[in-house]
Amino acid sequence: MSALDTFLSAREIWQIPLAASLVAGALLGALGVYVVLRRTVFVSAALTQLSTLGMVAALLVEERIHLEAEHASEQLAVAIAFSVAGALVLGAWRSRRLPAEASVGAGWVVASALVVLGTSRLVHAAHDLSGMVFGNAVAVTGGELAALVAVFVLAAVVHLLFEKELVFSSFDPETARALGVRVGLWDTVLFASVGIAIPPAARALGALPVFALLTLPAAGALLAGPRLRGAFLLAALAGVIAAGGGYLVSWFAETPTGATMVVVAAALALPGLALRALRR
Amino acid sequence: MTAESARRPLVALEGATVGYGRRTLLAGVDLAILPGDFVALVGPNGGGKTTLLRTLLGTLPPLAGRRAAPDRTRIGYVPQRDLLDAIWPLSAFDVALMGRAAHLPPWRRPGASDRDAVLGALERVGMADVARRRYGDLSGGQRQRVLIARALAGEPELLALDEPTNGMDPAAELSTMEVIDALHAANGLAVVLVSHRIESVAAHASTLAFVDKDRRLFRVGPVGGMLRPEELAALFGRPVKLGPVAAAMAEPSGPAPGGRP
Repeated sequence: MSALDTFLSAREIWQIPLAASLVAGALLGALGVYVVLRRTVFVSAALTQLSTLGMVAALLVEERIHLEAEHASEQLAVAIAFSVAGALVLGAWRSRRLPAEASVGAGWVVASALVVLGTSRLVHAAHDLSGMVFGNAVAVTGGELAALVAVFVLAAVVHLLFEKELVFSSFDPETARALGVRVGLWDTVLFASVGIAIPPAARALGALPVFALLTLPAAGALLAGPRLRGAFLLAALAGVIAAGGGYLVSWFAETPTGATMVVVAAALALPGLALRALRR
Repeated sequence: MTAESARRPLVALEGATVGYGRRTLLAGVDLAILPGDFVALVGPNGGGKTTLLRTLLGTLPPLAGRRAAPDRTRIGYVPQRDLLDAIWPLSAFDVALMGRAAHLPPWRRPGASDRDAVLGALERVGMADVARRRYGDLSGGQRQRVLIARALAGEPELLALDEPTNGMDPAAELSTMEVIDALHAANGLAVVLVSHRIESVAAHASTLAFVDKDRRLFRVGPVGGMLRPEELAALFGRPVKLGPVAAAMAEPSGPAPGGRP
């Protein structure tokens, strides 16, 4: 039996994880355009870590109150709460004394340390953490895929309906404010949508590929040079190819899934870089 | 425009304390902008001009006193162009369209009439031919004109500009000021302009306001009155001798007290 036959016969194993990878790739790729253009790449890294921290906190509580059954939706809810709260605080942080990077760096490193500390206290679920952090995408459930699809639809509707407000508030908040646009509200909507998208994607794929998919497809799309709407479409497409292609490559090459997605995403950004160099 | 509406301020600060947080920059500011005014806020860098402009526009509330503006006043705002990130893949048209989009309900997309208005605004500032070019690829002077077109696209009664000629070479500076002059003259558009270079705005404005938070300075009056040596000495913090051009523009009488020349 060839490798392809083996793959096709194992459809029940890979179809939900692959579908989750594709949805997460499109969602994170498109949102990444805002993340990159607003120069908040490391906010997304901190949020991914905060999402993992939320997951660890939920697991710790479950162990402390001796819950035996898996409570995936509660874990996801706690992770979303951590991520959205972090998004609103780190996204809106303005200090006259400290650069924004300082608060983002502090958020990332403290969340990382708390993940390590929390994991050290976990008795049964510690093995899950490796998958959450570095990416697994093997054991994605139907419920997790449904959560990802729901978040994808919500984000798409919000971003299509309020595109002009989100773009204006992000590109030129001062003028937007002067013209009566509620910049604080639209910033909240934008960062909340990123904060909501990260946990279900991180739960399905792992923190490392989530950070990569929020950064590399958008960077490649922006380097390729289309206008803003084209960049959103191109980044979403690159995210789909990176996540889906990475999953397939990892299956056949028997490599770690999350890291393979990151490498494929980086490889996809190279044509944009080459195009940019050629234009100069 | 009726005689009464021509005398009604588009926006005014009355006994306003200007600052942010708990920090007062300027106190007792009285400043009214009438239809057709051309007011230049002049002072050193970091002197509180932009904070005063933001208070006037309503994006920063006064710490004390009041800001009065009829709800219907349409404001066009041109920020310091260096604050805008050139990595955004937006065309000059996309940027100018924002001035129109801001007046639409959140879910409504700009229509054909909005696009026509934007093209008209770009034409008025001589930028129609770069409408499809990427904003970040334009020169400083071109970007400034696109931002002015964006402000015009909203059909404002009051055009507010923050350091519109900052960092430009003399030719681009003159060209930009001529565009602003022409808009002011042709449409009776009220203009409030912030600049740290009195020499670049004195020939265009009808009213000058000197602003320096470090000396708690706020003085306002007609250009002729404000270009006298004693007023300029207050602005520069040292004795000033007028050159022949400034001397010719100066009037023997000083500025009127309060916010109106």
